[in-house]
Amino acid sequence: MTRLRKDKIEHSRRRFLIGSVGSGLLMAFAPSINALEVVTGGASEQLAAKSFSPTVWFEIDTQGKILVNIARAEMGQHVGTAIARIVADELGADWNNVEIKHVDTDPKWGYMVTGGSWSVFQTYVPMSQAGAAGRTVLIEAGAKLLGVNPKDCSTHNSHVVAGDKSISFAEIVKNGKIERTFSPEELAKFEPKSPASRQLIAKPSQALDIPAKTNGTAQYGIDIELEGMVFARPVIPPTRHGSKVTSVDDSAAKSIKGYQGYEILTDPSDTVQGWVTVLADTYYAAVKAGNAIEVKYDLGETANVSEQDIISQGETLAKDKTSGTLVVEKGDIAKAAQNAKTSLESVYKTSSVLHFTMEPVNAAVEFKDGVCHVHCGNQWQSLFLPVVAKAVGMSDDKVIIHQYYLGGGFGRRLAGDYMIPAALTAQAIGKPVKLVFTREDDTRFDCVRSPSVQQMNAYWDGDDKLLGIEHGAAAGWPTMAMAPAFMPEGVDKKGKFDPFSIAGADHWYTLKNHRVRAINNPLAQKTFVPGWLRAVGPGWTGWAVESFMDEIAHKQYMDPIDFRLSMLDASGKNAGEAPVSVGGAKRLAKVLTDIRSQTNWGQTLPKNQGMGIAISSGQERDMPTWGACVAHVEVDVESGKVKVHKLTGVLDCGTVVHPDGALAQTQGSMLWGLSLALFEGTEFTKGQVKDTNLDTYTPLRMNNLPDLDISFVQNTEFPTGLGEPGLIAVAPAIANAIFNAVGARVRDLPITPEAVLAAMPS
Amino acid sequence: MIEFSLNGKKITSDAEADTPLLWVIRDEFGLKGTKFGCGIAMCGACTVHFNGSPVRSCSLPISAIANAEIRTIEGLDNQHPLQKAWVEHQVPQCGYCQSGQIMQAAGLLATNADPSEEEIEAYMSGNLCRCMTYARIKEAIQDVAGQSESVVQIYNPKRDAQGVS
Ligand code: FES
Ligand code: FES
Repeated sequence: MTRLRKDKIEHSRRRFLIGSVGSGLLMAFAPSINALEVVTGGASEQLAAKSFSPTVWFEIDTQGKILVNIARAEMGQHVGTAIARIVADELGADWNNVEIKHVDTDPKWGYMVTGGSWSVFQTYVPMSQAGAAGRTVLIEAGAKLLGVNPKDCSTHNSHVVAGDKSISFAEIVKNGKIERTFSPEELAKFEPKSPASRQLIAKPSQALDIPAKTNGTAQYGIDIELEGMVFARPVIPPTRHGSKVTSVDDSAAKSIKGYQGYEILTDPSDTVQGWVTVLADTYYAAVKAGNAIEVKYDLGETANVSEQDIISQGETLAKDKTSGTLVVEKGDIAKAAQNAKTSLESVYKTSSVLHFTMEPVNAAVEFKDGVCHVHCGNQWQSLFLPVVAKAVGMSDDKVIIHQYYLGGGFGRRLAGDYMIPAALTAQAIGKPVKLVFTREDDTRFDCVRSPSVQQMNAYWDGDDKLLGIEHGAAAGWPTMAMAPAFMPEGVDKKGKFDPFSIAGADHWYTLKNHRVRAINNPLAQKTFVPGWLRAVGPGWTGWAVESFMDEIAHKQYMDPIDFRLSMLDASGKNAGEAPVSVGGAKRLAKVLTDIRSQTNWGQTLPKNQGMGIAISSGQERDMPTWGACVAHVEVDVESGKVKVHKLTGVLDCGTVVHPDGALAQTQGSMLWGLSLALFEGTEFTKGQVKDTNLDTYTPLRMNNLPDLDISFVQNTEFPTGLGEPGLIAVAPAIANAIFNAVGARVRDLPITPEAVLAAMPS
Repeated sequence: MIEFSLNGKKITSDAEADTPLLWVIRDEFGLKGTKFGCGIAMCGACTVHFNGSPVRSCSLPISAIANAEIRTIEGLDNQHPLQKAWVEHQVPQCGYCQSGQIMQAAGLLATNADPSEEEIEAYMSGNLCRCMTYARIKEAIQDVAGQSESVVQIYNPKRDAQGVS
């Protein structure tokens, strides 16, 4: 998921504590202390009192076992393994002794301070430094025990080694009373190990969370049981906002064995409006009661909104050149438009998309000793913890969110809105409650990916030289709905915008004149809560930019790869900046050149088959993962059906910390790209999503799995993220391949057979 | 009151007759490895073996399972060759669908020890994986299918269910 800068700042201002606690050695980050604050006690005392940041800490016990404790969301990216390997590599640990524990919050911490998502990008430096600090301390203690100079020691395989003498971490922990605090400044001095001396990073490894996921023992939010809990199911109102319950008739539910009654929820946080929950002894009884109960409402104002209404609103806005907030303003696009001899205008659209995490959202809540305990899988606890607190009328420090495995995140569980009805119901009945959404409840309460409309204009002068591009993108904005504090000001200082909904429009092609407008679609914003969905904005901006670049290339009679290369000159702002985007557009040019030879680009293919190219630069300009995708498709010209034979992906994400994990993430994200391109998409009818289950919502299954050829550029640059970038280029690559196969230019996602047929040249 | 065998143990449940087996397994007997995904027999997360054949427990009322042999992921005892292959190929991502995937694949290999690629795709396409781990699921199955038949036979759930050892 999208990175939030706040997290990085928190890390860089932390102290690192190392101390003997009990019989083990504990290491943890602690908040930085300024000159006016008083530190009580040494590292050991602070560690024992657990006055440190709960997000991640490490323990070495007297057996030499290294336990990495992580209070973070594990949703399939094997985040714990990646983090543990960075630390273990720096420590010089024996990987076989490393274990991961996903921990609950300790009440002493008040609550979990975890913002945004935890990617390798954010953690690489702080975790390397933590490991290096640990190594320093182990070497100092080990050298003393061995009677040698610390300068002559190194660590290897969980031993401190000096010449032919060595001592194990276990022995050191057993013998030494250790106590050290590293200031943020001292910590910052540790450089990550040089690539040549790494023992674990970038080497093959197995993810530590996987065995439990093959035998049924991995515990997800939906698996929680609380003593004396009552099962609940929500009755979802007809509109997301503004519904009011006018009457409830549960006479039909009364004959259901185990039915306990219902609650009409009043929510001071306004997250759920017009909600009823039904209660029962068993979940199935709650499901039946939810079907049987009759609730009448005063409807919210969006009760009749359709997908087309939202799209029409977007079209009007995108067309109006004065709408939105300027995000990129280079040169003078208005003048270029005036002077243009020829021009091209294309409008690209994407429909509403569901998250459809395999585990429907759910939460179990219990009030105990004045504290509200919420149990569920969530990606961003700090975002909704204050909302839960507000809903139940308690202070933030009286709410604890306990973390479990997530049966899929993809951005759905960045929102913690599903905790609210569970908390309100538990509070109302004075008993622990486990609220589980049926699949239909889950989809109707989803924060869907907003439909989008994008208008692209290109202008040429009399010599057929491309003058510039104008890009307006209208959509509902998740950040505006859920975290408005993260919205920056536009370059024209005329308003704020959602950076995650426009990222990707500020691409790495060099243009003389370039304007990008980020436009909020107010009807989308009103009708539903727009969500962050895997890849977020680049999921639609990439669709428009990379399809349009192809259209321009063809209009200029140029090979689409040659054309792109001609624009990737890495000049000016596209030169990149060390360390994160070092090389800039040159690295995009490299993946393009690589994929050209890898796919034998330009080869003659059978009739109605074609290859298409698209590139992407990841989630945002200051965390670029460079990627290119080639899709090989075949179009059935009778039906318009598209079959994807093969997807080739070449990615450059800097150092690959956990190679197999990186491959797995990219397989997943590229197939998501394919699924969104051809198989998914829903629409709003009467203010609600139309498709609520798998009978009509049809994500990719194994029978449509294409060949996948994925490779990573081998380098030792700063590692960036991989969860999402693979997705972005797939849909435009497929559309560009369809054009090359049969000459049909499709501009709407998902790509339907009807649209392909309609676009076929006659 | 319905009597059936769950992972080799005789048990009785007095849940309402129309209650899907899924909720009985999970909430009455506490075996949480079997998951709820769609409730309409279209995702496969709830797959268990019913007298040796994979079924969707979300859509199977317990009235239909009197005296049947039911086996869940826990009943494979972490010994099925597919489970090892799943770790070797690092199949799971979020992992939520994987109990169902393994139970479905076990059902395939029990009746067809060496399936073709097309047979695997046809048999497994009822099981959705939202993390899209399909390529690895297929490889892991092919890997086990390629092993000698006797390896697969050791944990043939159908034969186990019939009580033959
Ligand atoms: S939950 Fe049974 S098939 Fe989806
Ligand atoms: S591994 Fe997440 S749904 Fe399959």
